[in-house]
Amino acid sequence: MSADPAKVLPMNARSKPKIVAKGVQKNFGSVVAMEDVTLSIQEREFIAIIGPSGCGKSTFLYLIAGFEKPSGGELTLNGKAIRGPGPDRGVVFQEFVLFPWLTVLRNITLGLDIQGVKREEAEERALKWIRLTGLSGFENAYPSTLSGGMKQRVAIARALTYEPEVLLLDEPFGALDVQTKNYMIKDLQNLWQEANRTIVMITHSVTEAVHMADRVVVLSSRPSRVIADVRIDVPHPRDRRNPSMHRYEDEITAILSAEVDKAMSLERQIGLL
Amino acid sequence: MSTIDLASAKPPSEARAIPLLPNIGARSGVIVALLVLWELAARLGWINAFLFPAPSNIAATIWTQSGPDGNPPYAMPMHVLRSMIRLLAGIALAVVIGTVLGVLIGMTRWARTLFQPLISIFMPVPTLAWTPVLLLLTGIDDRTTIIVVFIAAVFEVIYTIVAGIEMMNVKLFWVARSMGASRLQIFLRVIIPAIFPYLITGMRLGTGYAWRALIAAEMLAASSLGLGFMIYDASEYMSTNVIYAGIILIAVLGYLLENVLIGRLEASTTEKWGIQSER
Ligand SMILES: Nc1ncnc2c1ncn2[C@@H]1O[C@H](COP(=O)(O)OP(=O)(O)O)[C@@H](O)[C@H]1O
Ligand SMILES: [Mg+2]
Repeated sequence: MSADPAKVLPMNARSKPKIVAKGVQKNFGSVVAMEDVTLSIQEREFIAIIGPSGCGKSTFLYLIAGFEKPSGGELTLNGKAIRGPGPDRGVVFQEFVLFPWLTVLRNITLGLDIQGVKREEAEERALKWIRLTGLSGFENAYPSTLSGGMKQRVAIARALTYEPEVLLLDEPFGALDVQTKNYMIKDLQNLWQEANRTIVMITHSVTEAVHMADRVVVLSSRPSRVIADVRIDVPHPRDRRNPSMHRYEDEITAILSAEVDKAMSLERQIGLL
Repeated sequence: MSTIDLASAKPPSEARAIPLLPNIGARSGVIVALLVLWELAARLGWINAFLFPAPSNIAATIWTQSGPDGNPPYAMPMHVLRSMIRLLAGIALAVVIGTVLGVLIGMTRWARTLFQPLISIFMPVPTLAWTPVLLLLTGIDDRTTIIVVFIAAVFEVIYTIVAGIEMMNVKLFWVARSMGASRLQIFLRVIIPAIFPYLITGMRLGTGYAWRALIAAEMLAASSLGLGFMIYDASEYMSTNVIYAGIILIAVLGYLLENVLIGRLEASTTEKWGIQSER
């Protein structure tokens, strides 16, 4: 596939830092979850974060979302310290977190509804994402009747519908079957290219990260630090068969497995003591 | 000294045992059999028909007292209506005030500090113990019985609401706040529906207590109407038929309140949403 210059846009249109973390630390009681995360995310950048499980990826996302406060260091959005959650950041949780008492449609329109958007307009905007996420026909279903994959799609549609500047996605494709996942990945990429949002996506799939993101950030095991920050210099749309993508995948996989090995052997040593 | 720790409020599932008999058919069969046996026993003179009047006699009393020939005319429906008005008014108060207090206690440190000791002290006090005080404060008046109903139901509502808040997924707040919801929007659109299964449990338990307390309070503090008053009044005249009629009405209405009224509410909310409402 040739690189259509218009579609390479987000990478070149980069301007100023959107989210900046300087020496961010997070403790839960005596547990140090995050030691020193320093990272700068540009406006309209698509960044993937990857790391061993339990290393603090979700925690980092919650800090950006403003649900939790850093125990140390600085975390800014548009140059201002993050004080709490806000509609400028949309979150898709790993465990979906739908409102069980609202239908699919009402879950998705809730954000607009809360912001005072008229019902017809809210529904119109929601229906677009219901279509794109393949939820048509399930508008009036309650979440308890949906499969895990469908719940995840509702969560994605809900965050996209109120059009936040920053999308924070916590393993957003984890519960999807391969086919739906590929559709959703394509849609998310199109969205990002058209709307020029800033996207922070947590994933455990190196392929997914390399395929979608501008940059892949690798976190160490707990307490986490940034151990690699790899720019994926391949124009969009990307082709899985592109050999340079494989080189990136191999590079990141190597870093990640070295980190996991280190953590495991450390754990074993502790176990032996 | 009994201290009740709100933090350790049990989830409502443990608050109620499994029904003793498995299905409605078996249950009504047992009731019908007992009635037939009672009828026979009374008619054949095995038991004292004054102390234990035959069910057919009781039914006849309910029938005549419900019509224009009653004393006073339409006495039964008037007693029932008055008791129901008092009950529903008291329950409504208990649900509104209990929910607000429960949410405050569940979510704020100051409310917990302020109310927890008060609740621990007053919850074990039998509701009827308040009646003399209320009578002095308000006189023989519907307000006394309504407040008794309120007191009987409110602790249960507070208790289950606090448990519901503690079980709530904090991420539901997070989602709402990241959509820019105000405190009031969060209260009405997230907290209330999220604790609804608990609210229903609290209402079901509270209504049971309140119904019993109401009948007793009406015996002490009602001037002319109400099922409790009716029974008390009948005992003065030794009308055992009326006493049993009252007891049967109390049982049937209590059953309808707990199962039909609250059952309906449950079917149109938590059951529809597919969230288990704990029994
Ligand atoms: N609210 C919390 N209280 C205590 N420990 C927590 C809390 N949230 C996360 N942790 C701990 O912090 C670490 C990082 O968690 P998390 O961010 O969920 O990891 P990841 O998403 O990378 O798998 C884990 O060890 C987890 O047990
Ligand atoms: Mg996680």
